[in-house]
Amino acid sequence: MWALAWRNVWRYKTRTLVASGAVAVVVVFTLVFFGFVTATMTGMAEVLTSESGHLHVTSARAKQAHDFDARLIRDAARVEAALLRELPDVRLRRVLEVPALISGETRSRGALVIGTAQDDALGERFAREHVAVGRLPAPGSGDEIALGEALARALQVEIGDPVYVFAPGTEGWGAAAYTLVGLLDFPQTSHEIQAAYVSLEGAQELAAPGAVTRLEIHLAPERGAPTDALVEETKARAAAVLGPEVLVETWRESSPDMAALLDMMDPVMTVFSFFIFVLAGLLVVNTIYLGLVERIREFGVIIAVGADRWRVMRMVFTESLVLVLLGTAAGLFVGGLLVASWADGFRMPGFDEVLAEYGMPAVLYPSVTPGQVAVTVAFAIGTALAAALWPAWVAGRLQPVEAMRHVA
Amino acid sequence: MKPILRAVRLAKVYENGGVRTPALQGVDLEVMPGEFTAVAGPSGSGKSTLLHLLGCLDNPTAGETWLGERRTDQLDPVTRASLRLHEIGFVFQAYNLIPVLTALENAAFVLELRGEPKKARHDKAMAALEALGIADLAHRRPNQLSGGQQQRVAVARALAAEPRVVLADEPTANLDSKTGLALIELMKKLNQERGITFLFSTHDPRLLEHVGRIVRLEDGRVVADERVGAA
Repeated sequence: MWALAWRNVWRYKTRTLVASGAVAVVVVFTLVFFGFVTATMTGMAEVLTSESGHLHVTSARAKQAHDFDARLIRDAARVEAALLRELPDVRLRRVLEVPALISGETRSRGALVIGTAQDDALGERFAREHVAVGRLPAPGSGDEIALGEALARALQVEIGDPVYVFAPGTEGWGAAAYTLVGLLDFPQTSHEIQAAYVSLEGAQELAAPGAVTRLEIHLAPERGAPTDALVEETKARAAAVLGPEVLVETWRESSPDMAALLDMMDPVMTVFSFFIFVLAGLLVVNTIYLGLVERIREFGVIIAVGADRWRVMRMVFTESLVLVLLGTAAGLFVGGLLVASWADGFRMPGFDEVLAEYGMPAVLYPSVTPGQVAVTVAFAIGTALAAALWPAWVAGRLQPVEAMRHVA
Repeated sequence: MKPILRAVRLAKVYENGGVRTPALQGVDLEVMPGEFTAVAGPSGSGKSTLLHLLGCLDNPTAGETWLGERRTDQLDPVTRASLRLHEIGFVFQAYNLIPVLTALENAAFVLELRGEPKKARHDKAMAALEALGIADLAHRRPNQLSGGQQQRVAVARALAAEPRVVLADEPTANLDSKTGLALIELMKKLNQERGITFLFSTHDPRLLEHVGRIVRLEDGRVVADERVGAA
């Protein structure tokens, strides 16, 4: 039966190329689709966590008492050192957020002064994504400030203008004057209208020497976003060394809205995948079905000279299976090559801003899991065999005389 | 001697969209082993239907069909397929060769379905092609052969399996008269040399001069059954 099927597959070259090609196209398309779904999901997670980090260390008292003092991790240097001993490969951003009154020459409003210190890579990334005009305050600077563009407009200040900050009731100077060195652009206007960035040291001098309100832990996989499992494992390690005075949370715990947004993509992608599979299935069904219907007359001859209907059905099924296996193998090869070639980063020139609008990174890292490959192969084979079922059944049920008169 | 093919009050009615068309109306026929018999009659007289019913390709509406001592009209499809595979050779009007197979592979196809080893079926098929004078065309595909050559391959396919009886439905209908006549003479030669029973239909009166028996059908009934001198 296999020999007969293989011979027919080999001899009907055009049909074989068309049918196997259709299966191969579907397999390639599905693999690439899976690759980009994975890349999109991890990319969105990466965008969501690129600024906030994957884990947050905050004061254990911050959740119960919302005053500024309760939110402080006072011995930040000790906490940071303990953290880096346990997790030497992570990158840290130290943040001190100070509620304050901020003024220009003529206007003032409530704002959040955010002092940050981080390694160069995190700083450069932040600057690349948010600095619209000028620059960020220099690390360690005590007299430079960058404002959200909306806040700067509200205060009617421009680059080079003095900006005054009042943080009464804190443990620092409580007031300071800065020079505006940069204007920042954020997607959320609510953040842009209240954000004022200074160096960590500047913020500590202003309000809480030696303290931070948050340590952000950025895991640094080679590409894409770290898995939830890695984040959870890191959380457990951090919590174990830092003790009960601080609270370690994953980004999903500290930003449930963001996590929900990402999780919402799962059903969306599932529905999208369903339609992709339906369309791909129709292509396979159509190709296999038509390839067999036009041979019903031939099947009639085979039945007439002595093959029983089950034998014809087996032959049709075996042939279809051979076609699908050939197409699937070709599709896996080509699709695998494509995904592998894009695995180090796929960028669509000119689409960076469009992707950013949808919360996606400019560079995607497609990859497929063994499970996705198995689903693709099972789908291709299942669909093609289902497509072969009807013509095989028809051919098997036909009286040979009718089949030999059949005109496709 | 007992008949190899037998039809008893055989009737067939085709129904299409509520319209009943009687094709055979109570045909009685016996074909003895080794006979070279033509079923003659105009188009629509029931020639093909009779061959299809005797060859287990279709089911009668009424009556009986027999192959040797076995009644065939009541058999299940699988057994009927097995009978066609092992006992009956078919030659069709439209050749009905499998387009992707060579002449040799077409001739060996029935043997392949029987599961015979490659060497054995190759030898038998080649012998059949040689007997029909087309061994040199063994590796050509049907689209590389003329109509007469294709019909010879079809006869070779029927003969290679060494059936008890060969049923040929208007085997010369698509051939020119010279080629058709040559094919009939070839079939007759095989009939005489090997004793294979041939039953074929035709509406060409010139071919009837070469047969041993003519069964004439009209409107689904046997109107004459003549033994003629050519046998």
